[in-house]
Amino acid sequence: MIFLAIRYLLERKRQTLLTLLGVFFGTLAFVAVSGFFKGFQGFLVQQLVNNAAQVHIEIRQDYLSDHVLDVPFFSNDLVHAFWNPPPAGVKGYLDIQNPQAWYNRLNADPRVEAYSPTMTAAALFNVGLISVAANLIGCNPNQQAKVTTIADYMIAGKFTDIAFGGNRVILGDELMKRLGAGMQQNILVSVGTNSAVPFKVVGRFYTGSRGLDLQAFAALNDVQRVNKTPNYVNEIGVRLKSYLDADALARSWAHLGPERVESWGDQNLNIQSVFAIQNALRLSMIMTVLIVAGFGIYNILNMTVNQKRQDIAILRALGYDTFDVVMLFFAQGMIVGVCGTVLGLGSGYLFCRWLQSLSFMLATPSNPQGHLHISLDWVIYVQATGLALLSAAIASVLPARAAGKLTPIDIIRQGG
Amino acid sequence: MGILSKHVGIKFGSPAVRVLNDISVEIKDGEFVSLSGRSGAGKSTLLYVLSSLDNPTEGSVEISGQDITKMNSIDLHRFRNEQMGFVFQFHYLIAELTSIQNVLMPAMKCKRDVELRPRAMELLEKFGLKEKHDRYPRQLSGGEQQRLAIARALIMKPKYLFADEPTGALDTVNAESVMKILQECSTQDKMTVIMVTHDPDFAAMAPRKIVLADGKIISDNATNPS
Repeated sequence: MIFLAIRYLLERKRQTLLTLLGVFFGTLAFVAVSGFFKGFQGFLVQQLVNNAAQVHIEIRQDYLSDHVLDVPFFSNDLVHAFWNPPPAGVKGYLDIQNPQAWYNRLNADPRVEAYSPTMTAAALFNVGLISVAANLIGCNPNQQAKVTTIADYMIAGKFTDIAFGGNRVILGDELMKRLGAGMQQNILVSVGTNSAVPFKVVGRFYTGSRGLDLQAFAALNDVQRVNKTPNYVNEIGVRLKSYLDADALARSWAHLGPERVESWGDQNLNIQSVFAIQNALRLSMIMTVLIVAGFGIYNILNMTVNQKRQDIAILRALGYDTFDVVMLFFAQGMIVGVCGTVLGLGSGYLFCRWLQSLSFMLATPSNPQGHLHISLDWVIYVQATGLALLSAAIASVLPARAAGKLTPIDIIRQGG
Repeated sequence: MGILSKHVGIKFGSPAVRVLNDISVEIKDGEFVSLSGRSGAGKSTLLYVLSSLDNPTEGSVEISGQDITKMNSIDLHRFRNEQMGFVFQFHYLIAELTSIQNVLMPAMKCKRDVELRPRAMELLEKFGLKEKHDRYPRQLSGGEQQRLAIARALIMKPKYLFADEPTGALDTVNAESVMKILQECSTQDKMTVIMVTHDPDFAAMAPRKIVLADGKIISDNATNPS
């Protein structure tokens, strides 16, 4: 039957080509649009996953609510308490209570690749008469470089230069510009009401994000000393062997101490909801294209069944059964579907490669040429194949079944 | 064994119109039978019932001892493929296939097309179509198309050949040529040939003539009627 199905298709070249183009463009659109959206999402996820820790163990600081002191003061029997003024403020700790327990736990967990304890302090940076407020992050640079990609963004000096201690600091590009500071220059850093301490600028980084570039890094001990909080750590950043484990690990670790534990996903829920909307839009748009392609196949096959009633009659008289007749028309739809899908996948791949070579985005340190991020994930190609073939199969089976139900005698009596 | 119909009746439509009424007839192997009668007599319907293309609403039809009205679809289609050949008033050739491919269509069903290709060429040669084996039906004359349809019907060496007005759309010369082929099928190949015709001259060429009127057999010159 395949032989005859191919002959039918070749005999109606223009109709076959038009139907095939429907599947072709549907598949191509699927690959290209999915590649674009998934590439964009992947780029953002990689930025979030790589640039910062994947799990954050942070100090917990809860705001006091109006009735948080009702029970401690008046027991459970109280109907309602009126506070004037109501309780306000923050309840919590300034540092991680038992960092050593966390270090032991993280060292023992095989899913953890690296971790980095940090002490972040709100500092005032001074150069002459210029003062700029910014975060000063104290860390062990060797550990921090394993947890984040900050070392890759250095444009002057090395991130590990702060490891030697002695009040060395690495400034973000934006902070450096605002201070008007230069390399190897001494600047003054003060935290809270503590007196200013001189730091030597030994490095400069540029991430492209103004918020991040308005930060400074120094050795953990130096920051603890400036802040007058020796041995304090207010965050432990964790890098995992697989970032996909982050949500589950954060949930299980959250019960192990008073600290707040969040995954990179928890901290970027808004972005994930945007991704969900993007995916819904992408799939609905592409499904529409493929349904239209399916209607093309359905219409052409329906017309063919009507035009080939005499052939159906004689095939049945020659001994071809219902299954053969169904296959004759189903095969036509599927041949068009398979050819359109294969061509669409190939062209979609080439189109994606071409898009990858275009410079649409602003150049960043991680993407100096500003190329578009297009995903070539094999899952896209499997999904495109599955949906295109499913669309072709559904569109083919209906007219094919109708053809299979035709009896030779009815066709002959109706004069073909 | 042959073909045996027992009290076959058939009704169509609503309200029901009786097209065949209590037809009992036996056609022995190798017989050449013509079915004739006026339009609406039921001759084509009887041919379709005897050939399994249509199901009777009453009675039964046995071919080679098998009740074809009770066969399942797969067995029935195999039986048709292996034992029956059909020729219709209109050739019903497949326009997308060449002459040789059309002839081999029944053989393709049972995957014997390679094996039967020499026989297909023999048949084309016999019917004067050898040189046109790679032509499409639209490139043949009406007579050639009908001879091609007969070649297709004969490719599997069927035991039974059913012909419904095979000369109806042909001029006299071509019609006589087709009749000669059908006669040879009966005399030389010992095939059972059942032919519907409204032409009394062609009907007379069959040794056994059955005449129908109003769904009943009104005349059968069989020497040994059942």
